[in-house]
Amino acid sequence: MIEFQNVSKIWPDGTAALFDVSLFVPKGQFCVLLGPSGAGKSTLLRAVNGLTTLSAGRVLIDGIELTPASAPSLRRRVGMIHQHCNLASRMSVAMNTLCGVLPDLPAWRSLLRWFPAADRERACELLARVGLDAKHLFRRAGDLSGGQQQRVGIARAFMLDPDVILADEPVASLDPRISHDIMSLIREVAKQRERSILCSLHQVNHAREFADRIVALRDGRVVFDDVPEVFTDAIAKRLYGPAGPMMNAASNPLHDPTATNANSALKLAA
Amino acid sequence: MVLVVICALLYSGKHMEMDRMVVMTTQAAGKLLGLAPDSQVARGISRIAESMWPPAVAEKEETARRPDLDRARLPWFTHIETEETTVHRLNPTTLQLEKTTERAEYLVNPVGYLQTVLIKMLETLEIAAWGTLLSVLFSVPLAYFAARNYTPNRVCYALARGFISLLRSAPELIVALFLVLAYGFGPIAGILALSLHAAGFLGKFYAEDIENADRKPQEALEAIGAGKWRTLWYGVVPQVLPQYVAYTLYILDRNVRMATVIGLVGAGGIGQELKGRFDMFQYDHVATILIVVFLVVVLLDQFSARTRARLI
Repeated sequence: MIEFQNVSKIWPDGTAALFDVSLFVPKGQFCVLLGPSGAGKSTLLRAVNGLTTLSAGRVLIDGIELTPASAPSLRRRVGMIHQHCNLASRMSVAMNTLCGVLPDLPAWRSLLRWFPAADRERACELLARVGLDAKHLFRRAGDLSGGQQQRVGIARAFMLDPDVILADEPVASLDPRISHDIMSLIREVAKQRERSILCSLHQVNHAREFADRIVALRDGRVVFDDVPEVFTDAIAKRLYGPAGPMMNAASNPLHDPTATNANSALKLAA
Repeated sequence: MVLVVICALLYSGKHMEMDRMVVMTTQAAGKLLGLAPDSQVARGISRIAESMWPPAVAEKEETARRPDLDRARLPWFTHIETEETTVHRLNPTTLQLEKTTERAEYLVNPVGYLQTVLIKMLETLEIAAWGTLLSVLFSVPLAYFAARNYTPNRVCYALARGFISLLRSAPELIVALFLVLAYGFGPIAGILALSLHAAGFLGKFYAEDIENADRKPQEALEAIGAGKWRTLWYGVVPQVLPQYVAYTLYILDRNVRMATVIGLVGAGGIGQELKGRFDMFQYDHVATILIVVFLVVVLLDQFSARTRARLI
């Protein structure tokens, strides 16, 4: 589970990426972050494993606060799936997947690139699970198609069996059919292990289909937080619509962020 | 601005005797075409060319100077020739000039000098190879400290960058000159001189490659807490390795050429042989050396081009 407590992030140039965000993602929940570009989705995700340092507030993973001291041990419990897969394109698929266990690998094994048999077996299993069979094992990651690369990225993220999965627009560069496959794969693998997922997306339809909960951000504030059923087209339109008096995240949220998740009453009428 | 440049060029040209260069070159060209009666340059070149041709390949040695020679088992490719020479000699008793015939026996090896040159060339290649190996060993840690995104702190970064600049700014020939004083004549000075200069070059380029490497795989490894050196080893090295190999091959190629040159100051290899022959005005031997150097450089070019093509 992930807990954000009054999290704020101000960039050095003075722009606020996140403004007093509080959020609790319980164990096993698939939580999707929606919002226009620049709303703070990536910043929020990257705050979980400390890739972004916060200006204010706290992030807790399973009740442990993320600090520079706890970051190394917490990071290994957080798997991340990246928008651009972030594979080492000149290394093999197998090696890229095995990179997922690096934080736990002794130094001499890391140096020699000699992975224990158990890890290698696990990598093969995971790759098979995400639909890449043995013939792909020793292909260069850079030679794979975009969808296949993201499958490798998913396998890598699950290598250490993390408690929390972060997915930063995992299907942004994939076609609709493949992105559907990838989304259901992420959901399936995570549900099987009861892992919490925090996933930022641009596709509202995917969010409706796969999410247990939708959190919408606009200008660094949470403007909607509820089950997908109540995320109507009208709300989506206003979320991505032009900023103006109607859509002022601070004074006129789409949905009261203080309302609990169970309370599906919509403040937004028009 | 243009005027200033032109003025500077005119001044410097006068200073550098560019006018004389033009006159002499024109004369030489005229001589070549049969227009000019005489040319200093053409004379100089033709004299050297005449003495260089044919290149010396054979080696001849009096058997008298080889007391340990086993006549039943001569060294490879050799045979014994006897030559009779007639000399006029003053007889000390009669005080008359007498004609005497002297017989001298020679051990002749028709490819003997070529063998010597090839052995020296091999030595040069060895110097270049060791120089390259050592420069890689020096430059890898140097590159780590000189890469802005991996260096432990600013002081290390500044020190490493400064050291690299220092290494790069000292020409091999000068370094070799000093090292010959320190280590004596022979290949050690050559190897060290080559490797120090090349380490500066490689350190700079390796470091810049690390800085410019694709951030994405590094970020993925950082995100799971893999730590700094693991990120470098798995996220950076595989990406920059082909470039590294290309640089290293270039350095090998360059080192072979430089190794012939630094021999001139006594740092071993074929350069030392070249300088010796040059100083003794044995231009036919010089010709053999130059031809061998040329062929080896061409072959090496081919080799490195092929290796590079296969790796990238």
